[in-house]
Amino acid sequence: MKRNLLTLVIGAVLVVIFALLLFVFQVRKSEVAVVTTFGKPTKNLPDPGAYFKWPWPIQKVYKFDNRVQNFEDKFSETHTADSVTLLVQVYIGWKISDAEVFFPKFAGGSVDAAQRLLEETLRSAKLGVVGKHQLSDFVNANSKQLAFDSIENEIEQAVRSQLQTNNCGIEITFLGIKKIGLPESVTQTVFERMTSERQILISRSQYEGEAEAQKIRAAADRQAAETIANAQADATRIRGEGEAEAAKTLPVFQQNPQLANYLLRVAALQQSLNQKATLIFDERTPPFDLFQSIPTNAP
Amino acid sequence: MSDEHEHHHHSHEHEHEPLAADDAGSQALAEALRSSFAIVKIVMVLLVALFFFRGLFTVGPQEKAVILRFGKPVGEGQKALLNPGLHWSFPYPIDEVVRIPITEIQHVSSTVGWYATTPEQELSGEEIPAGPSLTPGVDGYAITADNNIIHTRATLYYRIEDPIHYVFDFVNASNAVQNALNNAILYTAAHFNVDDAIYSNQSGFQDAVRERVEDLIEKEQLGVTVDQVQAESIPPRQLKSIFDQVTTARENRGKLLNDAHSYENQVTNAAAGQAATIIAQAQSGRARYVELLTADAKRFSNLLPKYESNPSLFEQQALIAAMGGILTNVQDKIYLPQRADGKPRELRLLLNREPPAPNGAAQSP
Repeated sequence: MKRNLLTLVIGAVLVVIFALLLFVFQVRKSEVAVVTTFGKPTKNLPDPGAYFKWPWPIQKVYKFDNRVQNFEDKFSETHTADSVTLLVQVYIGWKISDAEVFFPKFAGGSVDAAQRLLEETLRSAKLGVVGKHQLSDFVNANSKQLAFDSIENEIEQAVRSQLQTNNCGIEITFLGIKKIGLPESVTQTVFERMTSERQILISRSQYEGEAEAQKIRAAADRQAAETIANAQADATRIRGEGEAEAAKTLPVFQQNPQLANYLLRVAALQQSLNQKATLIFDERTPPFDLFQSIPTNAP
Repeated sequence: MSDEHEHHHHSHEHEHEPLAADDAGSQALAEALRSSFAIVKIVMVLLVALFFFRGLFTVGPQEKAVILRFGKPVGEGQKALLNPGLHWSFPYPIDEVVRIPITEIQHVSSTVGWYATTPEQELSGEEIPAGPSLTPGVDGYAITADNNIIHTRATLYYRIEDPIHYVFDFVNASNAVQNALNNAILYTAAHFNVDDAIYSNQSGFQDAVRERVEDLIEKEQLGVTVDQVQAESIPPRQLKSIFDQVTTARENRGKLLNDAHSYENQVTNAAAGQAATIIAQAQSGRARYVELLTADAKRFSNLLPKYESNPSLFEQQALIAAMGGILTNVQDKIYLPQRADGKPRELRLLLNREPPAPNGAAQSP
């Protein structure tokens, strides 16, 4: 009968759905699952998809977040090899690499319990690695001597190997230093040192400024004097050349030295009496010798 | 399909009609069944409709979506990403739609390098005053290569390059990016000297932070790309005034040097000018001297024959001619004939060419 057939189909579908809900479960991307049979982990499902299981109470499914989780340890004191107290905080990314191992290790897969273990592992790894390094490995202007990366790598390696010996199904994906600090009292000492360094810089700036300015001025003066001295030397040379040139005229005057001498004296006389001169003369001075012929009323 | 069903049912009714007439009870039962069956049909149609409509969903403009079928993404890698628009999926529990918000650019700020403050406090200027020391865990700072303490902070702007990786492989990827940024500012400060970080090489500092963040993002495979990094560094507030004094001292030094350089320019230019004058004078002097002598020589050559013909006459002529010239130029000429007795005269000269004092004029009315 058709009506019964339809009812049957519907019933069957409902049964199938119910069975699916009971026997099939999904593992979502970003999850891993462990199936336990009577409380014992029997199946590890690291990939997403739909899977079959026996219904409770035979089998049970535990799902875990398979994504990388962030974790930071405490900002705690460490001591470097040169006995500087340094506060260091480290961040890590970790994920569950093997749920079948992880699940029984941490009381039903408790993430809190896992983080407690991580915290402890990180702390000992951090203390051990920092203790092997100088402060100059943490901070250094020379990038070749700066061992920041290798410190991080060493801590990461130490944590990795520790987790491996513990065999707890956890994988470290990355590790880095998040925070570095100094004890509170030390910061004050650092401030004092910084202050004195600044003061040195201030006085050096002043001293250097003055000295350098003085140097520049002195150099300028010297250069100016040199320029003028050179110019004067040039001038002397030029005059010398002039005289040398003039000396070519000498043979002309040598033709008759008396005349030359005489002309020079006349010229000198003209020059000296050129202006603002008072000339007192008597009748013996030519052309006033002409007056001699005139009778005078001289006493 | 439903029409077909209706049709079947009609035929049923016709078949059973004679039987039902016998028994009123069974007829009523058939009636009830029929009507309940009709309700079931409607419900089924509705369910089917709902099944299809429920599967419809939209992806907004600021997001992408991934369909997980039985927990597995549908499509491989980037192809699994659904763009904004209308899409369809099977209803839960077969499919699950995961939406991934992608605002164009995300940003995170560093949390470890700055003193304790909030943006509100910074805006209003009401920051907690700086104590004499820095409390670990409260005041953040970085240690520079020369063991100085500075405050430094950075903001990182980034894009999500691989949304599937970003969402499905990290519980909190932006936190991981933030820690990478924190690490980068510490790392950068660790190989910068304090003056470089704060004053002379701020942009280098910023570039170094960016470089480190990019390295870490690649190493940690966070699936993002850096768009921009902004970093800023200041000296500890406790030491602000002394750092400012250094700046002032440096500026003063620069000023001193500038002054010295301008003095240098002035002095050397003046010297160059003076030198040019000296040389020009020498050259013109030389030219004049040579010219003069040449002229003299020429005149000498002209005069020589005259002189040679009668030297004493020439001398007299020349002297008188010269005296003529002199007497026209001379200011005062005093003629003082010889005393008749031939004795020398006594002559008193008052050698004062200065003009009389002006007070003499004032006294006279």
